[in-house]
Amino acid sequence: MNVLPGEWRRWAVKLAQHAAWVLPGAQSPWAEAMRRELDYIEDDRAALRWAVGCVLASYKARLAGLPRMRGRVGRGAVLRHAATSGALMLVIGLALLENAGGQTEAPRPVFDETTCDRANVSPDIDPTVSSGTVSVPRDMDHSAPKPDTSCADRSAPIRFPPKYRKP
Amino acid sequence: MSRKPNNSRQTRALLAALLDRSQTWRHGYDLAKETGLKSGTLYPLLIRLSEQGLLESRWQEAERPGLPPRHVYRLTASGRALAREQELAAIAAERVGALA
Repeated sequence: MNVLPGEWRRWAVKLAQHAAWVLPGAQSPWAEAMRRELDYIEDDRAALRWAVGCVLASYKARLAGLPRMRGRVGRGAVLRHAATSGALMLVIGLALLENAGGQTEAPRPVFDETTCDRANVSPDIDPTVSSGTVSVPRDMDHSAPKPDTSCADRSAPIRFPPKYRKP
Repeated sequence: MSRKPNNSRQTRALLAALLDRSQTWRHGYDLAKETGLKSGTLYPLLIRLSEQGLLESRWQEAERPGLPPRHVYRLTASGRALAREQELAAIAAERVGALA
């Protein structure tokens, strides 16, 4: 699923509104200044990055002015605002992470080694079990052909014959 | 030891950008692009410089119709003096570094 261009912008506007909410009173023109810059940023992703910075800036400014506002706004209120903002950012981050999944290629296995990649090991050697117990049915067909690990075609998956073939 | 005010790398970059075109009103996004500062760093600096009387700001009507007025900034006389002082100090430090 791809993120629509308007989605980035919508989140940016929401964040800028939150920044304005954080900075009331004498500092509100600064929040308004940051918010209006959004209208001049044409790229939606750049606008979102700008808005995230606006939220950070508003909290920094709010906390910097805290000693002067101590009589009116308590530290608890600021912490509540910070917690709200953090939760909002987390939700946005998760939403973007989820949406970004459709824009990337399918995940590749971390360990992509085949028998052909092992140094000094013949590709004919079967994987061995180093510990534990393996139960083998009595009617297992030992004459079954071994898998083709000749590495002739490395891009093709190794095909294993059915191991537990009943007569 | 107390830190010298307005002497951080970010503040010096902002003051230098503002001094570069000291008579021109500059807007936030323009300053952010020029200095490489993110909005989360830029605006606290602008607010602080403004509170210290080093920066003046005003609302400017948009050049294109349909867009809102924009907050613009430029250095005050004392801001320009501080920016020049820092510029000279940076040049002096550079020369000392070259001699050493």
